[in-house]
Amino acid sequence: MKKILTAILIIITFFIIYFLQSNFFTWFTISGVMPNLFIIFVLWIGLFIGKKTGLICGLIFGIYIDILIGKQIVISGIMLGLIGLIAEYIDKNFSKDSRLTIMLIISASTIIYETGMYAFQIIKWGVNIEILAFLKILLLETLFNVIISIILYPLITKLGNFAESKFKTKTIMTKYF
Amino acid sequence: MYKNRKTGIIGITITIIILIIVVILSNTNLQEISYIENIFSSIVMPIQNGLTFLKNKIAGNESFFADLETLKEENENLKAQNSKLEQSLRELEIIKSENETLKEYVNLKDKYKNYQTIPAYIINRDISNFSKTIVINVGEKDGIKPNMTVIADKGLVGYVISTTQNTSKVQTIIDPSTSVSSLITSSREEVIVSGTLENSKTLKVEYIDADAVLLENDNLETSGLGGIYPKGIYIGTINKIVNTQNSIDRYAYAETAVDFSKLETVLVITNEQGE
Repeated sequence: MKKILTAILIIITFFIIYFLQSNFFTWFTISGVMPNLFIIFVLWIGLFIGKKTGLICGLIFGIYIDILIGKQIVISGIMLGLIGLIAEYIDKNFSKDSRLTIMLIISASTIIYETGMYAFQIIKWGVNIEILAFLKILLLETLFNVIISIILYPLITKLGNFAESKFKTKTIMTKYF
Repeated sequence: MYKNRKTGIIGITITIIILIIVVILSNTNLQEISYIENIFSSIVMPIQNGLTFLKNKIAGNESFFADLETLKEENENLKAQNSKLEQSLRELEIIKSENETLKEYVNLKDKYKNYQTIPAYIINRDISNFSKTIVINVGEKDGIKPNMTVIADKGLVGYVISTTQNTSKVQTIIDPSTSVSSLITSSREEVIVSGTLENSKTLKVEYIDADAVLLENDNLETSGLGGIYPKGIYIGTINKIVNTQNSIDRYAYAETAVDFSKLETVLVITNEQGE
């Protein structure tokens, strides 16, 4: 029952994030650059719920975003799914109890996700390569995501530990074996 | 433990404040200092009012000694009147806003009377920093089909890439993956205009003929080639020319006619040269 409730909460959170991204963060920007809360959300699912849920949620959410606003379907799904998968891998190898670790994971994930998205645009649409403009956006977006993760850190860990206790039976850190 | 928690809360609060300051500063034109004046006046005005009140009292202003009951009654009446006026003001503001939207539609219709158009509102914007698509509130039910051109009061917006029953997705000309075949209005030279990652106002002008005469402040309009955009729709103005060693590679930057950050209403051209 609690698992169903958590699943419903995940869906509700997805929609809250979607409306925040498409309304509030279209004007609450740093030099016109928006954060990407979906990366943080999928990372959270992968890190604390696991069991391939991060991958599946990333895929579903990404495809849904593409259908709603994207130019092409699937790419956001693939990239967010990848982030979910990376989160599960990180969960097995690193401790997520440190604020610094979470910040580094979010930075790395934002860089991987956005670089993948931009590379896809170049390959699929033949977009002009603008390295400096891309790096500027990437840097600001990463910074924005990190700042948000600092603000949300207590909530992330509290809800994460709750979800972990419901979904995961045991956590083994393979690096110690 | 308690100290760590307290430090954490202080840290989060400071981070939130820094974030808000960064966002505000990065989006504000510092030359506009009128709001700073407002802040200063709001600090000074209560003190100024108090001083005036004291001055009046000392000067023996008779109105200060007026009957308290009468003043209370008068105050109640004024409050009621004020709330009525506030309500009327709100209603008038709604009417004014509707009127402005309708005027915008009429202006748009007049400007592009050669085309049959459908007005629409923007209901959603892209959530990615690397693409610039928008969603409008008209769809298949209203006769919208993919590849139809979307314009605004000042010029070209983009084209419809997909539709649902009630909405349509529009790829704007500022999207880096959009290329528009264009003409330089004065010299009639053909060029290709595409979106950039720079900002939501800048376009890149490429494939400029080696012999073409290109000047700053030249206007750009659609050439009609490519099968999507009709001919003669204003795109923007060239504001920077970048000359390279090889004149074939030279390019320019243009500013869009439409301010995409403030764009709210658009028109979808359903057919060229309509009745």
